[in-house]
Amino acid sequence: MLRWSALSVALVVCLFIGLSIGEQWINPFALSDALESTILWELRFPRLLTAFAVGGLLALAGAWFQVLLGNPLAEPYVLGVAGSASAGAVSGLMLLPGSAWIMSLGAFIGAWIGIMFVMFFSHLGANRMLLAGVVLAAFWSAVLALLLALLPEQGLFRAFSWMMGDLSHSDIPVSVLLIAWAIALICGLVLSRSLDLLLLGERHAEALGVDVKKLRQRLLLLASAVTALAVTAAGTIGFVGLVIPHLMRLLFGSLHRAVLPASAIGGGLLLVMADSAARTVNAPAELPVGILTAIIGVPVFLFLLLRRS
Amino acid sequence: MKELLTLSNLAVERAGRTLLSELSCSFRAGEVVVILGPNGAGKSSLLLALAGLIPSSGEINLQGRALNHYSRHELSMQIAWQGELPPTEFGLTVNQRLNLAVAEESEAIEEVAQTMDIQALLQRPLGELSSGERQRTELAALMLRDAPIWLLDEPTAHLDLKHQIQCVQMMKTQCESGRAIITVLHDIQQAMAVADHLILVDGKGGAEYGEAEQLFAGQRLTQLFDAPVIHQGALLVPDYGKRI
Repeated sequence: MLRWSALSVALVVCLFIGLSIGEQWINPFALSDALESTILWELRFPRLLTAFAVGGLLALAGAWFQVLLGNPLAEPYVLGVAGSASAGAVSGLMLLPGSAWIMSLGAFIGAWIGIMFVMFFSHLGANRMLLAGVVLAAFWSAVLALLLALLPEQGLFRAFSWMMGDLSHSDIPVSVLLIAWAIALICGLVLSRSLDLLLLGERHAEALGVDVKKLRQRLLLLASAVTALAVTAAGTIGFVGLVIPHLMRLLFGSLHRAVLPASAIGGGLLLVMADSAARTVNAPAELPVGILTAIIGVPVFLFLLLRRS
Repeated sequence: MKELLTLSNLAVERAGRTLLSELSCSFRAGEVVVILGPNGAGKSSLLLALAGLIPSSGEINLQGRALNHYSRHELSMQIAWQGELPPTEFGLTVNQRLNLAVAEESEAIEEVAQTMDIQALLQRPLGELSSGERQRTELAALMLRDAPIWLLDEPTAHLDLKHQIQCVQMMKTQCESGRAIITVLHDIQQAMAVADHLILVDGKGGAEYGEAEQLFAGQRLTQLFDAPVIHQGALLVPDYGKRI
């Protein structure tokens, strides 16, 4: 109970800081003029919610992939979905360099092509599937490298900035991301007992009544779709999906009825804080948020890991 | 005694190799059947086939209905399987592991934890336990299951002498309470202590089912393992020879 209270307090504090901080500090409870109101509610607030939803989706996908593949090192991009999405985004940029939304559309199409490849291997056991995913990821990196080599110079900055995570101009409406966050969390909670049983290994889960084949397919589709949405909204933001589920297991135990909601909130918090830092540290210029997720998250995670051991 | 599980011409193949063919027998409530055979002969695979966890040919009938007509959930109500130790990467505690064996929070957890001497370990992660402690946790999880059929794959593996004896006694008690227990064992003494019937698996596709007393009496085990097994009074023991 104490931990949930701490997470709730952290949520309120982070949302407050996320709203207030920026090139200019704005207190949401004491707005001085219409400009501040516009900056706060029309620029920072939607971006903060986007960061929260994307972070939560990535953390949920990470938790699912870790169980699905029976490997705590798994993360949302492990099966190559991020690589295919990036390749799609860069292809879009090559075809229609002037379009504002073409990278998101390309990423979405690319992510689903990646998912279709992954689903083709869904019948394999966890280890082989992981191996297939690593090989697919290598394939998509090669395709991406080829596309980047062919991309005209003026498109390179936009491509790299997107690939390192960019929340500044998400083409997916905030409402869609928040609804997806809620649906993903509910789906996760519905599957939570089956996920817990899967922690015992596929044989034990099956012997305890889980239809493992069906569960794996559903989980793979769900985790991939969530990853595709997050990548489309904000590019590839590493680290959140790998570390937040671990962090939440350290704090809330291994059972998914606690790990999933805690990850959905914790992932959101990390990305809100990272994005707040990304747009403040070097203001008015912005740093890629993916760099900040690692800079904030790594010390916190290592500290908890050392304290625990 | 009521027949719970019936096999007709059961055949099990793994990786293109026939491990068992044409095994026909019945398992009854209140009876222990021990599966014996050399390494790699297909003992564990037979258990997995009986649990419906790997494909097999022939017929397996569970309480009058073909095994493959049961859903996974229905099967889990009828059959409890104990096999390899679960992975420890995700930090499950002993208490959480035991809770996963039952559908709802159960007071019986304390009781079985006491029986298996793991009450002091309940809050510890599985990864911090020795193999013997993890095996005792698995046996405690098994005891929480209501299933009338238990399939046990080397339940005494990793256990010290005290807990091996306790495990054998537990099998006897559970059998007396009406369960059918089918178990793989490597220790002949333990097999002699619990078995009503034996299934001898030779690893070349052959499997023989029979009364334990009869099969223990002759030279059948010496042939099966291609190793000296000698009779010492009522006991059958491996002949390790003497130190030179």
